[in-house]
Amino acid sequence: MDENKFDHGKSPYERPNFPFRCGRGALWRTPCNNGPKVDGSCGGTRDCTPFFKEDRWLCRREKRYGGPCKEGPSPTGECSWQRPPCAPRKTLREIRGQISFLAVAAIVALLLISQALNPTFAGFVNISDAGPLSKSHKKFTEIEGCAACHAAYGQGPVGWIKAVFTPVDISERCVNCHSFGGPDSIAHNNDLAIDREVRKTECIMCHREHSGQKMSTRQSTSEQCNTCHKNKFESFSKGHPEFPEKYPYFNRNAIKFDHGSHLKKHFENPKFTEKAPTSCTGCHQVTLSDREVRPQAFETICVNCHGSQITKKDLVLIRLPEFMQNFVDKDALIQACNSPAEEKTDDEFLSVSTEMPALVSAFLLNVPEDDPETYEQPLQELIQAMTEESMLPIEDLVNSQTETPMADKLLTGLNPEVLKRAACSWGLNLEYEPPAEAKFGGWYADMLEVRYKPTGHRDPVAKSWIEFALNVSTVQDDEDKTTRAIAMRDEVISAKEGVGSCVKCHAVSETTLADGKKKLEIEWQYKEVNNRPHSQYSHTSHIEIMGNKSSCSNCHILDGKAEYMASFKGFDATKWSSNFSSIKRKTCIQCHTESQINQDCQSCHIYHLNPGFKKKMVSAKRQMPEIKK
Amino acid sequence: MKRTLGYAVIAILFFALIWVWTLEVDSSLNYPEFISGGALFFTIFFLCLFNIRKRVPFLPLWPARKWFLLHTVAGFLALSLFWLHAGIMWPNGLYVQILVFLFYLTTLSGIVGLVMEKVYPNLLTRIGLECIYERIPRDIAEIRNKAETLVFECTEKTGSDTLAQHYLETLGWFFQRPRFFINNIFGGQNAQTWVMQQCSILERFLNASERDYLDKIFALAEIKRKIDFHYSLQTMLKNWLLIHIPLAAAVMTMVVWHIIVIQVFFN
Repeated sequence: MDENKFDHGKSPYERPNFPFRCGRGALWRTPCNNGPKVDGSCGGTRDCTPFFKEDRWLCRREKRYGGPCKEGPSPTGECSWQRPPCAPRKTLREIRGQISFLAVAAIVALLLISQALNPTFAGFVNISDAGPLSKSHKKFTEIEGCAACHAAYGQGPVGWIKAVFTPVDISERCVNCHSFGGPDSIAHNNDLAIDREVRKTECIMCHREHSGQKMSTRQSTSEQCNTCHKNKFESFSKGHPEFPEKYPYFNRNAIKFDHGSHLKKHFENPKFTEKAPTSCTGCHQVTLSDREVRPQAFETICVNCHGSQITKKDLVLIRLPEFMQNFVDKDALIQACNSPAEEKTDDEFLSVSTEMPALVSAFLLNVPEDDPETYEQPLQELIQAMTEESMLPIEDLVNSQTETPMADKLLTGLNPEVLKRAACSWGLNLEYEPPAEAKFGGWYADMLEVRYKPTGHRDPVAKSWIEFALNVSTVQDDEDKTTRAIAMRDEVISAKEGVGSCVKCHAVSETTLADGKKKLEIEWQYKEVNNRPHSQYSHTSHIEIMGNKSSCSNCHILDGKAEYMASFKGFDATKWSSNFSSIKRKTCIQCHTESQINQDCQSCHIYHLNPGFKKKMVSAKRQMPEIKK
Repeated sequence: MKRTLGYAVIAILFFALIWVWTLEVDSSLNYPEFISGGALFFTIFFLCLFNIRKRVPFLPLWPARKWFLLHTVAGFLALSLFWLHAGIMWPNGLYVQILVFLFYLTTLSGIVGLVMEKVYPNLLTRIGLECIYERIPRDIAEIRNKAETLVFECTEKTGSDTLAQHYLETLGWFFQRPRFFINNIFGGQNAQTWVMQQCSILERFLNASERDYLDKIFALAEIKRKIDFHYSLQTMLKNWLLIHIPLAAAVMTMVVWHIIVIQVFFN
């Protein structure tokens, strides 16, 4: 064989880009010189196509195939070298093209079938499914399917084309179920950047779906926060702003508890050492506590030392004061009190009492407590009325002070008979002698007074009187009455002498109402700090790491110079000094550094404002068992 | 080698640029998938251009050798961009799983093809014979005709049919069509051993004139063996595209659908 026979004159020109090749060659026989035709039929049934010239047929076989044959064409012009046709085969290129076409056609068919079938019927063959949803979203989209989030779903080809050219904010669908404490498309759901424009936010900036059972929530990095935040920094340990001056003690406590005096003075007093807690967790409940470490209940931690003090401080409702003249109608009194008639004497009237009236009754009657000539007639008329109607005049007086009648609350447990008897005695210018001592608390009359003794912590009557006193002290129009209301209030909320000594521990704060008016409120409950919705802190996890004993004092350092109790003298809750020095950033950096503990923004900050669910989600959840069926 | 390195450096720089860009976009709370996806689509589209380039050899484009180099580098670039785009090796969802499965298969077939493109031409050069793939049937038929002519001639001139009998029983099978395909694609020597063995066992039964014919037939068998080697290796070089190109076409179809779906549902 000529190994180098690719010469132009000798070699046939192979065309691999042709769709067919010779069937004889495919069977490893000598391929014909002509090869198959373009339509796939055999082109080698004869060696040449003779041509007619000068009255005879001439052979046209090419030189490289041997030139004109000896036999020459037949008289009818047919080639002498004829052979049966072969079955041409497809070339590799053609086969490749066909397979490629089939592959594309298979994919297109799969896509079309997937689109044509009802997704609820054939969801498992839905080739457009971008992946399984997270567990929670899967549940809530069972009914609507993809259309729950994607508006274009199920809208057909026209809808799809429209969707391409119509920008759609997918976040609008998210807020069909999710709710926030502020606008959903504003950063942090909170209008924090009032001094400049910030871009509109979308849920999918951070939250991605179709990632399986676990919701893929993109971890916020410092770089992402830096996108909007003016103050850009690398990490908590590198560049994070210092904490504010009072951090984290921005708000005055609801309960006045002087840590300084208790820890340094009272708990070290041998008299109380046994009752004193041995560590912070003796009073503070750290189990499951996040940002707030609530103190335990009064009955658990305070009652041992302070329990008996409450019942010692009474409220004086009425006191028989010194009178200069007697205005009581004796006949009416004898008749009302059913007492024996006395002989009329011309002796000068000498009051049995030398006291001043109680501030409460002085306020109720709106009389000066230090001017007998002014107060004696109204007060004696009250006593006279009490002899006839017992509680009724008092109730009327109390109810007239406030918009909402409060007598029911304020006078709960007051025995009308006792009140009448006391009034009868005082009407006769006598001291009232109670039948027994009031041991268990409640309303009682004694000598010259009608008093209330609190029964213990959380006494409802004592609480109501304090609320009443605070309320009436800010709503009076009359200047004199305001003065008397404030005098009464100061007595009732006095830490030492006020009823139950409630205000010894409970702070009284001034708040501003929606209409701009000021109002005084006593803080009965421990008050959680809720004005920092974008930050979080878990005491539990920190105590778990640092231990139970000294972990609190690592961050909360007692400030011996702080005038803590002085902060409660006024009603302005914003002006106060904490018992503790403010926490500095360097305290946290001791652990939260690059080489130690996580210092991502999300460790301490919450992006959303009060995230929650809309009402329909709750009802949808209730329907879930039915949906499953 | 320098050119390959140059293209590889360009590809790495391109990838680094896209990577940094996606990080930047990601940190600004935008969608880096659009950047990496766009770059990936551009790369895949460029890979497909190679096939189109082969269909228009008459156009004054770059030579196929350069295109092949670029295609190889772009293939690895596409794989890297795919991982950057998806963020994971194996995604969720039937649709993307099919897409990724086909993409991986295409890449794998491409790598297999690349290995063959690098190894086989050297083996073919070393065998010492050039051969056009499409002419192999003609060459084999020609060799077979020559061998059979020699066998006839030997029988006629020597009056012995020993060589003819042997040809019918053994060598005829060898000359019929390409043999030892599997062994050849792994660079094996079975064909050579077989031919040597068949000729050597016959040699002692032949006289001197018959041996001359046997020598000529042996020489033809050697050429046939080399053509068989060409056939096996060139078949592999051409047929791997039967897998690679249809897969690539399927991937491209799914990519287009992917872009449509993204445009419709994520616009």
